[in-house]
Amino acid sequence: MSKEKIVLCEDLADVMPPEYQELVESATFGDQDRGWKDIGSSKELIEQHSLCAGCPESIAFRYILASLPAPEDTVFVGSTGCTSLVFPHVAVHNIHSLFGNQNAIASGLKRTLKSRFPDVEKDVVVLAGDGATVDIGLDMTMQSWFRQEKFTTICFDNELYANTGGQESGLMQKGFVAKMAPKGKNFEKVRLAEIAREAGCAYVAVLTVSKPNRVEQVIKNAVLVAREVGPTFVQLYTPCILEIGKQSMEGLDEMKDSETIGGRFVQKEYISDEAQKLLDSIKEETKTRKKAAKAAKAAAK
Amino acid sequence: MNKQVELKNKRIVASDHVKLGQKNQKGQTYTDINDIFYSAKQTPNFLTGSEVIRAAIKVASVGTSVAYPITPQSEAAALIGELYAEGYVDEYFRGESEFAVMGQCAGSAFGGHRVFTTTAGPGTLRAMENFPMWAGSRLPIQVCVTCRGINSPLSIQPDTLEMHYLLETGMLVWHAETAQDLFDFILKGFIVAEQPDVHVPIAVCCDGFFVTHTKDTVELPPEDICLTPYDPYRNPQPVMDMETAPIRMMRDPFVMKSNYISYATHASWQQEIKAAVERSRKHTIPLLNGLIDEENTDREILIVGSGTAVSQSREAIRLLEAEGVKVGLVKIKTIRPFPYEEVRQATKNAKHIFVPEFNVAGWLAREIKANIPDNERVYVGPQVAGGMTMPSEVIVEEIKKHLGMEVATRGTLG
Amino acid sequence: MSRMNIRISGLGGQGAVTAAHLLAMAANKDGKFSISNPFFGAEKRGAPAESYARIGTERIYDRGELVFPDVIMVFHPQVITMQKSYTAPFYSGIKENGLVIINTSADLLSDEDHKTLADLNVAVLNHDATKLALEIGKTELSTNMAMIGACAGVTNIVSLKALDGALQDRFGKRYVASGGTATLDEAIKKKYAKKEMLLKANMDTIIKGHELASEWAKTQNLQLVEV
Repeated sequence: MSKEKIVLCEDLADVMPPEYQELVESATFGDQDRGWKDIGSSKELIEQHSLCAGCPESIAFRYILASLPAPEDTVFVGSTGCTSLVFPHVAVHNIHSLFGNQNAIASGLKRTLKSRFPDVEKDVVVLAGDGATVDIGLDMTMQSWFRQEKFTTICFDNELYANTGGQESGLMQKGFVAKMAPKGKNFEKVRLAEIAREAGCAYVAVLTVSKPNRVEQVIKNAVLVAREVGPTFVQLYTPCILEIGKQSMEGLDEMKDSETIGGRFVQKEYISDEAQKLLDSIKEETKTRKKAAKAAKAAAK
Repeated sequence: MNKQVELKNKRIVASDHVKLGQKNQKGQTYTDINDIFYSAKQTPNFLTGSEVIRAAIKVASVGTSVAYPITPQSEAAALIGELYAEGYVDEYFRGESEFAVMGQCAGSAFGGHRVFTTTAGPGTLRAMENFPMWAGSRLPIQVCVTCRGINSPLSIQPDTLEMHYLLETGMLVWHAETAQDLFDFILKGFIVAEQPDVHVPIAVCCDGFFVTHTKDTVELPPEDICLTPYDPYRNPQPVMDMETAPIRMMRDPFVMKSNYISYATHASWQQEIKAAVERSRKHTIPLLNGLIDEENTDREILIVGSGTAVSQSREAIRLLEAEGVKVGLVKIKTIRPFPYEEVRQATKNAKHIFVPEFNVAGWLAREIKANIPDNERVYVGPQVAGGMTMPSEVIVEEIKKHLGMEVATRGTLG
Repeated sequence: MSRMNIRISGLGGQGAVTAAHLLAMAANKDGKFSISNPFFGAEKRGAPAESYARIGTERIYDRGELVFPDVIMVFHPQVITMQKSYTAPFYSGIKENGLVIINTSADLLSDEDHKTLADLNVAVLNHDATKLALEIGKTELSTNMAMIGACAGVTNIVSLKALDGALQDRFGKRYVASGGTATLDEAIKKKYAKKEMLLKANMDTIIKGHELASEWAKTQNLQLVEV
């Protein structure tokens, strides 16, 4: 969608809410090089959020929305959970359907958008919690990967079902005590990243949201690879501070602890050859473009 | 509940789609539905219900269809795949379960395509959570339900119990009697479901095997005319394609009582779906020529039914006529919206109302009994289930027994 | 047959639900009949959370939201100032001669509110329960205790002895925060190495709330309804 479509009608522009006016004026739609550094100087695509103070999901949302290559042509598919309480605040079309069916919805959506707009790159991005992705939605998640559906799946992994009060999920660690696991979880944290790789994802990344640069790079990679190569999967550790007994200010430290050497959230990526080739060519192209822009700027002076 | 509607010879508002009259990539001309059915030359074909589904989708300008195998709709679903390979359907694939398939259909509908799928019995129940979701999300998806028995135990054969589960999903529910009905209802169903003041999903039901696998004569319009395409921008809710403002838009948010919204929103949303189904009447009546068909409803003995029960009853009525017993017939075509007023009027004179059904619950009899005065006139049955045929002779026998008439011993009827 | 219907409006995480259950449990111990139940939309900390305690002299059957309460308790000023309430205004439905207790240090009501409530002969108690909770319970989580105490202090709907018993039942066995979130459990565990200390701190908060409220009641010339 071009920004023209959201330009406000002159006669009514002044009665539109100020947040919407700001969105039209200064959101970074259509900027190839947008990223997390725009936060603070441009209008973010998320208008406040109602999550608990210090919730890592909130920072993840902000980085992701700042990093999407083409938010003006992106549609999100979410699932029930804390994330779905945030989506009404997001300035990108998004769909909430049945718990766990997000990858089925995204499969149909992506194919239809491709059919209706063959000349426009419409990015479909799934964003769901661990319960929705690895338990109730696992078959639809994996089958969308088998079928090579071209969209990105992002999993906000807080290692349990947070919104319903902290029950055990497949991505919880073995031995952790939680609701429905009073004696501690019986089995290991599901190796979802490896499953994604085996199921056919062309690009898989696991990391926490402690470092915005990394989140931005991973999100861009995932969306760009999904456009041309195959399904992509990003697993982000966004701990629920409430359910692990931490205080509001302790989320960042929790993430940093989990990504120290040997930790379960040390960043890792699985990249297929074809995806790697694409990412390398994009990197080259970006370098060349920026160099040329810099030179042009210098010449203009 | 609904007002008396007069059956005049009026037609639904004609299509004003911008592509009306143009040809699609297969050389078919986009044509108004009234012309497809009432102006074009109809030719007789001898086809099974499955083949008729293919014939209908071939001229339905369908965007997406998603398939999954389950008897007795697998054949139809695969035939649609062939249509996709030939270029008559834009997008088609096999999903991994009915629950997934219906979600995939929803995704396509959210994205702006006209969507068609099929399922049956256990598949319908596996998909169940999706149907009220479709209705609440105002997705005008069409699902052809080829009624079959529900586990346990397993039966692949026709049983209409599953239709009972669909009644409160918020979908339109139409019941085809024959392959002819099936063809007509599929095409007309898209048009009604997609009206902006309706815009809810539609289940077009037929009795598996009795329709899907039975060859019968069907009058079909030419293959080079087809339905005008679905226009997603006539949807009362924004399409999820980031092509229209507002861009701050979430489809299907929580509208329960919370920080922001009163639960009156949820209640009124549900009522809006019910109202949408009611609003479909005015479009359906001219297209289907009424929500019921009546024959000889001035008679004291009436049979009221839907689907194959009507076919069997037609023969039963012939047999009874030969014995001098005069019976009238009411065929119900739409179960949702239910033709309360029409049924009340049609059964006004009857002293004995028989409701034969292909299920053990007697749900159709219950709908009728709840809505007509002096409902002790209603005889619930005969009923068969699990795929049993309902021989016309059995209907004759039940009617005669109930009326205290002499019933000839088996084998000597007629 | 006489009844007292109490509606509690708070924010998720404050213990509004626990408060209603405690009042109801205490009423049972006093030989009365009761039913208590919660109501919330988004399962979210900080989101509006209401709970209801119905207490009476005969078996009670109705449940769900209390649309016409005798007593309304507001556990957090934001219920009023940010409309984090399921009714607007927050005192919609209050019966004539009713009682409103608000956890606040300052008057949050508009002139119109004051007039409407006065016309209904509804008494309003501004009770700084948070301050009490921090002083005596040593944690903001004891706010609900200060409020329950105040409610009992004005209405005598339950005895202090019964409240003590209810606390024992609820907290005596294991630390259980209402929604069961681990953080609240951890916070309580940190402060109270022995659960006896927790129970005592809570009870002390209730008693102080009770004392302050009954003193206030004496100045108000209230007609008590016997339940």
